[in-house]
Amino acid sequence: MKGYIGEFEELVLLTIASLGEEAYGVSIKENIENRSDRSISIGALHSTITRLEEKGLIKSWLGDPTQERGGRRKRFFEITHQGKVSLHHVKNLRDELWKLSRTTLSLAK
Amino acid sequence: MKKQNSKPPVFAEKFFEWYCENAAIEDLHGDLDELFYANLERMSVTRAKFKYCQQILSLVFSYAIEKRKRRSGYRPYSTNQTVMIANYFKVAWRNIRKHKMYSFINAFGLSIGIAFCILIYLFIRDEKSFDQFHSNKNQIYRMEAKRYDRELQGSEVPYERDAALQFGLRNVLKDELPEVKYATRFNSGRKVVLKYRDKIFSEKIAFVDRDFFKMFSFKLLSGNAERLFENNIDVVITPEIAEKYFGKEDAIGKTISIDDGGERLFTIAGIIETPPANSSLDFQILVSEESIPGYEKQMRDWSAFGTHCFVQLLDKADSAQFRASLNKVAPKYVGDLELVFTPLTEIHLMKSVGWHKVSDPQYAYILGGIALLILVIACINYISLALTTSASRRKEVGVRKVTGAGRKQLMYQFSLESLLLACVSMFIGIMLVILFLPSFNQFTGKGIAIAWKDWAELLSIGLAITFVVGLLAGSYPSVFLSRFQPALVLKGHFTSHLQASFTKPLVVLQFFLSASLIICSVIMYRQMKFVATKDLGYNKDQTLVIQTQTGWRDKSANKIVERFRTRAQSESGIVSVAGTGSSFNQGVGRFSYKIKEEEKAAYVYAVDPNYISTLGIQLAQGRNFDVNIFSDSSAVIVNQALVKDLKWTDPLNEHLNWREDTVGLGSKVIGVVKDYHFLSLEENIEPMFLTMDEFFGYHTKILVRVEAGNVPASLDKVHRMWKELFPDKPFNYTFLDQDVAKQYESYERWMSITGLATGFAILISCMGLFGLAGINSVNRTKEIGIRKVFGAGMSSLFILLNKQYMWLSLIAFVLAVPLSWYVMSKWLASFKFSIAISWELFALSILSGLVIALVTVSYHAFKTALVNPAETLKYE
Repeated sequence: MKGYIGEFEELVLLTIASLGEEAYGVSIKENIENRSDRSISIGALHSTITRLEEKGLIKSWLGDPTQERGGRRKRFFEITHQGKVSLHHVKNLRDELWKLSRTTLSLAK
Repeated sequence: MKKQNSKPPVFAEKFFEWYCENAAIEDLHGDLDELFYANLERMSVTRAKFKYCQQILSLVFSYAIEKRKRRSGYRPYSTNQTVMIANYFKVAWRNIRKHKMYSFINAFGLSIGIAFCILIYLFIRDEKSFDQFHSNKNQIYRMEAKRYDRELQGSEVPYERDAALQFGLRNVLKDELPEVKYATRFNSGRKVVLKYRDKIFSEKIAFVDRDFFKMFSFKLLSGNAERLFENNIDVVITPEIAEKYFGKEDAIGKTISIDDGGERLFTIAGIIETPPANSSLDFQILVSEESIPGYEKQMRDWSAFGTHCFVQLLDKADSAQFRASLNKVAPKYVGDLELVFTPLTEIHLMKSVGWHKVSDPQYAYILGGIALLILVIACINYISLALTTSASRRKEVGVRKVTGAGRKQLMYQFSLESLLLACVSMFIGIMLVILFLPSFNQFTGKGIAIAWKDWAELLSIGLAITFVVGLLAGSYPSVFLSRFQPALVLKGHFTSHLQASFTKPLVVLQFFLSASLIICSVIMYRQMKFVATKDLGYNKDQTLVIQTQTGWRDKSANKIVERFRTRAQSESGIVSVAGTGSSFNQGVGRFSYKIKEEEKAAYVYAVDPNYISTLGIQLAQGRNFDVNIFSDSSAVIVNQALVKDLKWTDPLNEHLNWREDTVGLGSKVIGVVKDYHFLSLEENIEPMFLTMDEFFGYHTKILVRVEAGNVPASLDKVHRMWKELFPDKPFNYTFLDQDVAKQYESYERWMSITGLATGFAILISCMGLFGLAGINSVNRTKEIGIRKVFGAGMSSLFILLNKQYMWLSLIAFVLAVPLSWYVMSKWLASFKFSIAISWELFALSILSGLVIALVTVSYHAFKTALVNPAETLKYE
């Protein structure tokens, strides 16, 4: 299936989406770490980002140089239309499966 | 806590930048930094730094970097590189051929440098290989006595170690120490007369114990190893000796006679391999210790120290254990001395303990230093010539850069070029090694040979040196050359003038090294000349020293002298004949005695009345010995140094009580001789006395003064007389002046080596200077043309072109003066009598150095100055 994305890729895509204008390396990393309570290496994160960009699911641009980070520019990320389609794909698949579930998935006793 | 000031670890950052090359990583780098500073708030500095490194590692292995690097497009070592390498070789080869002279200068210098290094390597390897061939080498030790030395009082180690021990000690060690498996004495150097039928020669023999053959790995070529020395008349010889006496006959079982103060018969029981050149133990003829004359008496004598002793410990025993038991047993026999020991493999480089084949590790350092100097000078030639010829390479660099070569690629290319040249030099260098090895062996007194199996090692050493030299010499030029900006170079923005500013300090350094060597050589040469020509206070010329071939306790010695003298009186051409116990540089006798509770020592020479006249020694007071005055047989003649030592005011009324006689007064002093150098010039003139007293031994040497003029004829005559008088004694003689000169043999050797090194250093640096001057004059051709047009004369042009080199060499010399002054005053300190280092010596060296430099650069100056200005200017 074309446009299939993995769990971590989905997580990164959604985090980029949730961060809006402020999605760049460190913010994505911290966000995921805080939310999912797991530690991820910057190498793994950037690998995934690179792959997502290759697939055309996100696009990036360099920001303006700032005083912090030794004057080095940040690279910001944004979800493309294709990215949104992919997210929808995954979500639809999940929703469908939720609906079809014969066991009750409700946690209430 | 200074958290705010903490920065990410620099090395990790650098590594990251290096790894990523020119990929775009600005954002990643920023991320890393931001995380680091964020982490600082959360954890300790160390931990944050650690985290930072961890993150970098995760990035380095990540797909993100890989992708970015790929996208950066430029990869310096692409598969195309192999194609380029062929091109580099081609260009390098063309360059070598194009600049034939510079290539020759470089290759010549480098090959000599490499050759020197390989020779030094061989030298050091040989020094280290001493005694390594024994299979029991780790269990064998040489015993030594450690005694407190009053003369060294106050110094750091006021002890003296000596390998000469008591005769009986070997048996004590073997019997009383549980750790000792084998033990042997080794008494070498004694000269005897060996006789087999009509073959009579004087030979050196060595006395050893039976265990010798079990301890050391000298191969027994024939004979029964188990039964050697069971008889006291057994003797073991090397194949050379067997060949010398028995020719092709089988030597085993033959009977020979050995005259060692009394003729005795021995039987050849074995033939043993000749010890290799790198063995501390050397011998030709081995005789059992138990056959030594007066064995029983010597075994009881615990006051004489003169025997070397080696032990082999049990395989499971260690040296600490041995030391402990030694300290328990030794005091009984050696008194207040301490017995110590040295592993066999270390004795060769142990300068502090006397041994006939010991070597000073300092020599290796000096030789290595000289080799390094020459190599550095050659490398400097390469660098300065490469820089100054860079003009011709500029366009090439420009074109290469335009067509896509990176800086690293160019550096790679130029390093390859220097490596190529270094490789060529290595092969020439190895050929030089083969060529020079015999003379090197002669200089250093070694017997180094290159066997086939050594070649692999030698080649790898050569390659290692080549690699280092190639990179060392090639590094700066490659950095320099690859820096050219293509746009500037190709537009022709550079003037045709070569920038050679960096080469000036190199020239100074080069000349500084050469100048130091020149000054050292001049001073060494002067000192050796001084030593050779100094008036020693006696006449050492035209004097033969003949061995009487008797022991010093052998009464017949004096009769031999007497018979020879009587016979010589009737011959013309022989001036005088004297007998003495020891000649100069053939051993000395020193005697200690107490005078008024004070320890004194003096050198003693057992002489006859003709001694003083034969050697032309001058009497300051008193008279010579007289055979007709009976009391003279116990009288002494002292030198002025002894008079001074004992603070005598009227020496002729004094007695020298060397016997420490409590009843008598001692020997009467009948004369005082003026001080003369009976020791080498390294020593002061010490107190000394001459005596006819038989206590000090008989005359084992005959001094024969022959008439100046026809020395060979007189020598022939003396030889004939000797054969006639003593047909069964070999005629062994030396010339006194040669014996005296031999004392300075090692200095002479070092002078030759320094001289040789100086020669090469001057040659190589002059070649470099020659090349530089050539480039300089090419640079200024146009300038000279213009100057000539305006009327500059030959001399002013000459000065113009040579001025800067004169300045450079003058600076170098001024810098070299303190260094060489320091080194040489150390060298001269080993002589008690030496020349003063005066400014004339320095002036002489500087002048000669300047003249050499001037001659070198003048060629180009003349050539340039003579060119018709029309030739150089018409192209404008």
